Amino acid sequence: MTPTEIIPLLLVVLLLLAGSGAEPETMEVVFEGDHTLGGNGSVDVGATTRGASSGSGSAGARAGSAGTSALVVGGGSVTVPADTNVTAPLFVVGGDLRIEGQVGDVRVLAGNLTLTDSAIVAGQLDVLGGQVSMADGALVARQSDVVGELQDQTPTRSPAGFLLQVGALALVGGLIARRNPALLANVGDSVTNHAAVSGVVGSIAGLALLVLFVYMAFTLVLLPLSVVGLAVEFGIVVYSYVVFGYLIGRQLPVERVDLASAAGAGLFVVGLELLGRVPLLGTFGQALLVAIGFGAVLITYFGLTEFEPAEIPG
Amino acid sequence: MRFVDHVRAGEWHTVLGYLLFVVLMTAGYYYNVTFVQLGLIDLGTRLVGMDHTAVSTWMAALALLTFLVAVVAGVTMDRRGWSTDLRTKLRLLFGVLVVQFVLTAAAPHIRTVPAFGAWIVTASAALGVGFPVSFSLAIDFVPVPDRGPVAAVITAATYFLANAVPVEWSIGAFSQLMVAAMAPGLVVLGIVAFELLSPVEDLVDDLATQYEAFGTGRFCHDVPVKTRSLGFVAPVVLMFGVFFIDSLGFLRIIETPALILTSWQSPEFSTRLAIAAVHVVGALMAGVLYVNFDRNGLFLWVFALFGFTYVLYTSDLRVASVFPALGRDAPSIVNPLFYSLTVSFYTTLNFALWPDLSTAETIGTHSAIGVGMAGWLATFSSTAVALYLDHAEVGLLTHLNLVNALALLLFLGLVVGIYVRRMAAAARRNEQPTEPPEEVSG
Repeated sequence: MTPTEIIPLLLVVLLLLAGSGAEPETMEVVFEGDHTLGGNGSVDVGATTRGASSGSGSAGARAGSAGTSALVVGGGSVTVPADTNVTAPLFVVGGDLRIEGQVGDVRVLAGNLTLTDSAIVAGQLDVLGGQVSMADGALVARQSDVVGELQDQTPTRSPAGFLLQVGALALVGGLIARRNPALLANVGDSVTNHAAVSGVVGSIAGLALLVLFVYMAFTLVLLPLSVVGLAVEFGIVVYSYVVFGYLIGRQLPVERVDLASAAGAGLFVVGLELLGRVPLLGTFGQALLVAIGFGAVLITYFGLTEFEPAEIPG
Repeated sequence: MRFVDHVRAGEWHTVLGYLLFVVLMTAGYYYNVTFVQLGLIDLGTRLVGMDHTAVSTWMAALALLTFLVAVVAGVTMDRRGWSTDLRTKLRLLFGVLVVQFVLTAAAPHIRTVPAFGAWIVTASAALGVGFPVSFSLAIDFVPVPDRGPVAAVITAATYFLANAVPVEWSIGAFSQLMVAAMAPGLVVLGIVAFELLSPVEDLVDDLATQYEAFGTGRFCHDVPVKTRSLGFVAPVVLMFGVFFIDSLGFLRIIETPALILTSWQSPEFSTRLAIAAVHVVGALMAGVLYVNFDRNGLFLWVFALFGFTYVLYTSDLRVASVFPALGRDAPSIVNPLFYSLTVSFYTTLNFALWPDLSTAETIGTHSAIGVGMAGWLATFSSTAVALYLDHAEVGLLTHLNLVNALALLLFLGLVVGIYVRRMAAAARRNEQPTEPPEEVSG
């Protein structure tokens, strides 16, 4: 796994840790070698052992030490022996984690997790990706297959959640349209009349900002700013959805602009969902719309001014 | 696009002018980025037997000589009125192509340092005359509003061919390909330049007057940009910075097998195709931005992308130095993809900018100084710095870190420069006396 591939996964780990109130600074990451947690009565990653165990890791790959808030397996292999109890959360983003003893929370984002007959997961086992091999005798207190759940949460299978999304966006769209429809009109003008430049700006800025915030997160010092930045990016996307709703609403036989925008926003979300179901081209279409909307918001300064392209004489 | 209007109006001579310009510039730039930049290194090190430092020194000499010849050629073109004489320019270009054809065919047979030196000097003269002449054809062939899109097409076509078409990075392979491609081009250009067929004579007649409509560049319509004005010097300095940074970084990247063998020289066709596709997308994006943003905005985009690209490169290297296990895998393709995007951006800008900063009377001088300073003098300078860093045994991370620092510095400098300029303008507006409000008399 290359740094570029593993960095986004580590970011997710950092965000999960920060969200749980743990200290990301004391997190340990294993990238290579074979390691066994616990050993000689020491406390490793919150591990207590009832017997002797050994570590054969190579230099620079200490698998845990006292005060570590979490262990991330990014490469190599880590084993939790049968006589060991690990309380700190474990993350698998690459490599192999083999559990024979007792652990707390485990989250698998990539890589391989093996639970033997004697394994006990006393906390939560979250599977977001990767491979999980579980013996019949393994005990798991709580388990969620996030990928499976996400796949299950299609509008047809979870209509309530989808209606909630539609309703929330319609509400936001209606409120903005009522308070300041000129904002939406300015962004909408860029979407319709300057789609190419909006799409170019949106795709480059959106992608570059995303990578920038990911890299900022790894300074740890800037982790809060990174979270804020990602939230702002998400907010811009939502705002662009509202703009698309406003544009659709203008075509509806509804006089009140707020009601029309609210209805349009709802229709847009439904349309976007349906578009995503078109094989191959659907996802591309969704990405294109998001890029155009994102760029239109940026080049109009969130709708505060109309975009004026440079004048070229001749 | 005006191109569509010309097609609809059946103005086929103008349409052919577009095509001729795109083909000439694409061929010239492809020759430059492959044969000159990559082939000569192979020729010097493998066939002549020089060490890498000596070849780099000769390459720097080629860049400096080309720049000097170009300035002389460009100024001469403007002073003698050749810039507005299409026939003269086409014949000059034909002469350049003949010389380059002979040089290209002869290159793989060079075995001694003096022969290599003579080759470099002759090539410098040909290139130095060739690029101001070819850039000046923009005023004859391309309407001002279409310069951005045309520049994008040239960039996209060049980099797509350079990356997607599998050619071994050796002088022999480059020479064979170039000779095969140049031979028919030479015949066609000869027919056009010397008007050997009567339909061609009519075509050249029509094209020869187009400079009257297309000659005044985008940034010269209100007031022509003078050579010694800030309006010209500032873009020259900024483009010098762009090419310098790119060259300084790329010179080190191509010397690092782990970086180059997994990207531009990857045995995987899909990898090279991905890079080629990103070049095309990047060039088209730059074309869109060129027609929608002003000069400041365009340069900000380029520097921001450069800074960002090197942040990615250096961050990867830092992570790999902290966790050596990660560095053992093949480097990510993401970094060369961003690099390609950035290169397409500034190349597109370079193709469109100099004609747009010129009139029909200054196109020779401005393109010679602009492209010469940015493309050739920057290459000369960056090669010299790269050689110094090489002698000082500076590591890869430190080298790229320096490049990254320069990119970020230029980005910040540009932001501050634009801001201060606007602040000064606002201050000037405030200093202007305002008329007192009229008293309301009862």
